[in-house]
Amino acid sequence: MGFLAPWFLAGALAVGLPVFVHLLRRQTTEPRPVSSLMFFERGTQSSVRHRRLRYLLLFTLRTLTVLLLALAFARPYFKHKTVLASDKLLLVAIDDSFSMNAKLGGAGTGTKLDEAKRQAVDVLAHKSAGQKAQVIELAGEMKLLTQPVADAGELRAAVESIQPGDGHATFGELGRGMRAMAETVHTPMELNLFSDMQQSNMPGNFADMVMPGNVDLKLHRIGDVKTAANWTVESVQAPGQLVDTKKARVIAVIAGHGTPAATRVAQLVVNNNVVTTKKVDVPADGRATVVFEGLDVPYGESRCAVRIDSSDAFANDDTRWFAVKRADPERMLFVHRGDDTRSPLYFGAALGAAAQAEFVLQPITPEQASDIDPTKYAFVVLSDVPQIPSILEHTLERNVAAGGNVLVATGLAESHKGAIPVWGGSVQDAHYYAQGGEGYASVGEMDGSHPALKSANGWQGTKFFYAAKVDPGDARVVAKLGDGTPLVMDKQIGEGHVLLFASGLDNVSNDLPLKPAFVAFVDEAAKYLSGEERASGARTVDSFVQLRNPVNGASSQRTTGATVDIIGPDGKRPLSLKEAAAAQSFQLEHSGFYQVHFANGRDALIAVNPDPRESDLATVPDDVLKLWSGAGAAGETKGAEGASQEADNRVSGLWWWVMLLLTITALAEVALASGYLGTQREQP
Amino acid sequence: MLQRFLDPAVLQGISGLDLVAKTVVDGFVAGLHRSPEFGFSLEFAEYRAYTPGDDLRHVDWNLFARTDRCYLKRYRGETNSQMTLLLDASNSMKFTSHGVTKMDYARYTAASLFYLSLQNQRDPAGLIVFDDEVRNYIRPSTRQGQLYRLLAGLEQAEPAARTDFAKPMQYFQEFLRRRGIVLIVSDFYEQPDKIIRAIEPLRFHGSEVVLFHVLDPEEIKPKLKGPQVLVDLETGDRLEVIPDYVKTQYRAKMDDHLAQMRERTQAAGMGYHLLVTDKPLDRALMEYLTLRHSAIAGAA
Repeated sequence: MGFLAPWFLAGALAVGLPVFVHLLRRQTTEPRPVSSLMFFERGTQSSVRHRRLRYLLLFTLRTLTVLLLALAFARPYFKHKTVLASDKLLLVAIDDSFSMNAKLGGAGTGTKLDEAKRQAVDVLAHKSAGQKAQVIELAGEMKLLTQPVADAGELRAAVESIQPGDGHATFGELGRGMRAMAETVHTPMELNLFSDMQQSNMPGNFADMVMPGNVDLKLHRIGDVKTAANWTVESVQAPGQLVDTKKARVIAVIAGHGTPAATRVAQLVVNNNVVTTKKVDVPADGRATVVFEGLDVPYGESRCAVRIDSSDAFANDDTRWFAVKRADPERMLFVHRGDDTRSPLYFGAALGAAAQAEFVLQPITPEQASDIDPTKYAFVVLSDVPQIPSILEHTLERNVAAGGNVLVATGLAESHKGAIPVWGGSVQDAHYYAQGGEGYASVGEMDGSHPALKSANGWQGTKFFYAAKVDPGDARVVAKLGDGTPLVMDKQIGEGHVLLFASGLDNVSNDLPLKPAFVAFVDEAAKYLSGEERASGARTVDSFVQLRNPVNGASSQRTTGATVDIIGPDGKRPLSLKEAAAAQSFQLEHSGFYQVHFANGRDALIAVNPDPRESDLATVPDDVLKLWSGAGAAGETKGAEGASQEADNRVSGLWWWVMLLLTITALAEVALASGYLGTQREQP
Repeated sequence: MLQRFLDPAVLQGISGLDLVAKTVVDGFVAGLHRSPEFGFSLEFAEYRAYTPGDDLRHVDWNLFARTDRCYLKRYRGETNSQMTLLLDASNSMKFTSHGVTKMDYARYTAASLFYLSLQNQRDPAGLIVFDDEVRNYIRPSTRQGQLYRLLAGLEQAEPAARTDFAKPMQYFQEFLRRRGIVLIVSDFYEQPDKIIRAIEPLRFHGSEVVLFHVLDPEEIKPKLKGPQVLVDLETGDRLEVIPDYVKTQYRAKMDDHLAQMRERTQAAGMGYHLLVTDKPLDRALMEYLTLRHSAIAGAA
């Protein structure tokens, strides 16, 4: 016990006041004369006892009041252990990232994950009986496997249930998760992290992984600090869909992390058959590219992979999967005016120039298209056609609602300001930039994240002489001209999309068709509109695949009942029937091949590979780990409830208790003194 | 307006007892509105036929001249007209709680009675001052200057010694040769039996005896601020008492004492009046005279 203001204890000397009043002043009573003592009786003995008792009680209360007053001003406190060991929540976090599948170095035969689980169980076994604990799995995201429970069996079972994962762990995710948990859990927590402490798990900003004040971080490194040599297939570039097998190329990057220069054997595997083998010289701690010319796959979807013989401790990353679909070129419908020969020419040339030439352009005029069934085409292009037969428009609208896609270009012929077919809007105005000052307009803003413009690079140098002004409404504006006129817009209608290009596809309204960027635009737009983009490309573990378009407005009625179907790498369906009917996206949690049937009726084979950063087994230096584990106690993010370190030695002020006691004592003194003085009141 | 001057505290500011008596009695009489019901003597009561042996001085000669019959005039109280006042001058009479001592109050009362008797009624009045001895004696008389002699006797009467009724009463009986009114002013701190036993002979002698019991209000309802050591003014004895006793038992005893004094005196054919020193003087006089008139009327 201590005092924050001990000098106020000198005020206790004021206790001399009641001592004077009670013990000294009492003796100065003067005798009182009366006429006669005839009717008085001596009450000395009893009265003195009574008086002494009352005086002593009153004297005690008054002395206590003075002492308590001095004590209250001295602000007493005492330090005490406020937190028992059983009150501290024990958190056991196990890194279940892909790198934990590597074999443990040295004499150990198991994987790092096995060792992490063993150590976690060991920590849980040493907790006190009443202490609550919680098991956390750290993979792509932080998962709480249990509630805070004291049942050792349940906790052990939760640890044992952790299976090898393929995700990529980040300590930043762990820090964010713990900070979120600290907002609801105010008791001290002890976080035991079992991880291989990969360098790649560190976030870009160290502040992301700082623990809140009430978390005591204890790090358990699994494996050696020394970086293990590891070769891996870092990436594979292959067409998702091909027509000509001889033109197809597969480019794989072989990387070595902490490896000496060596020659590795790379194999191209198609449907579990090695079709090509190549040797590649990988420099020390470097990368090498191996190219496989031709990809002889059968019609349909093939499960392919590039594999190396690494002979290292981490064999799981020696194979990288990719899916290839071989099919005849798909037809796409290109509707144009009869007098417009430029747009089909330029668009067809660009489509043919694309690498894989997966689409065959079928030009047609609106008059010829009345009985066309758009579902037989990969996608439809309406190039500068102000009007199309109502039957075709109705058919196209139904096709879009069901998942079909349309590219609409509003060239010069759209200047009549009529309704734009399928789009649902009209041209509000027309900008003839050729008649203006500079004679053209350039692209001002462009959203490079849109699948159709990923390689557009801003369409630099492209001159637009004409653009229709169209109200985007709820459509996504992908590109704008310098004056703010929306140039490329993407509107979702039902399950499909309508991509609006507010200029022409010829070289009259702009010079884009004369630019190389036009080929990339046509290629990417074709892939986007045909739905190939959704299924192709490299996917990493823990990424999401969109199963159906977001439900909005009236279109929701048309998509009701469309189910999706997913078959995972293990051959099981991860979605329940209810989820299959409503899920809009799905997280790809494991590496391998996912067979997906989308809501719009299309099928795709998706290859999923672990994050290549997991193959770099370089670990975080010890000094960084010490800084991290010390940041929990010494950081500046101490919550209002106090840090755990301070909580162990909490200073509890006794001021309020002293004041409460003082109040009670004062009231008792007043009551007793009033009662004492009350004897002088006149009796009626 | 005059009532204000009858307050004991106001009377204390008046220097001379004669002025005090005049103030009290004149103010008191002025407030009677000429009531015929009050008076000591010379008050006509009835006619009685003359019988041989009657004093011829009382024959109504005017009536005899008119009717040729001899009648005597009878007056009320003609036999009690001599007033003798016994004043207790013991130390206990010095007690006061509000500025006017019991002795002062007794002086004012006595002076007023003397004034009333001598100036208004022309009755002889005398004074005996006593404690445990007879300190002063002024024979009853109606001579010129009697009032001032009496008042001077009152002025000189200073409290001293203790009270003892037996000796002064015995002494007084030697002086008392004629029946009259005997007024005893005291605080009567003695057992009622002893007091009555000492005073009763006066009554047997045929005098009308009236006791004026002078007490301070603090003596009737004392107030103590806690346990207190009390000193007896007469004996000097000390006694420590507690407030609880004073609140309960003392008051009971005092009430019992007053009740006994009243009952015993009335049983002995004597008058009794309690005078509390914080009450106006005229109230005490009025009470006394009213009762006396009733008694005389009843006797007649």
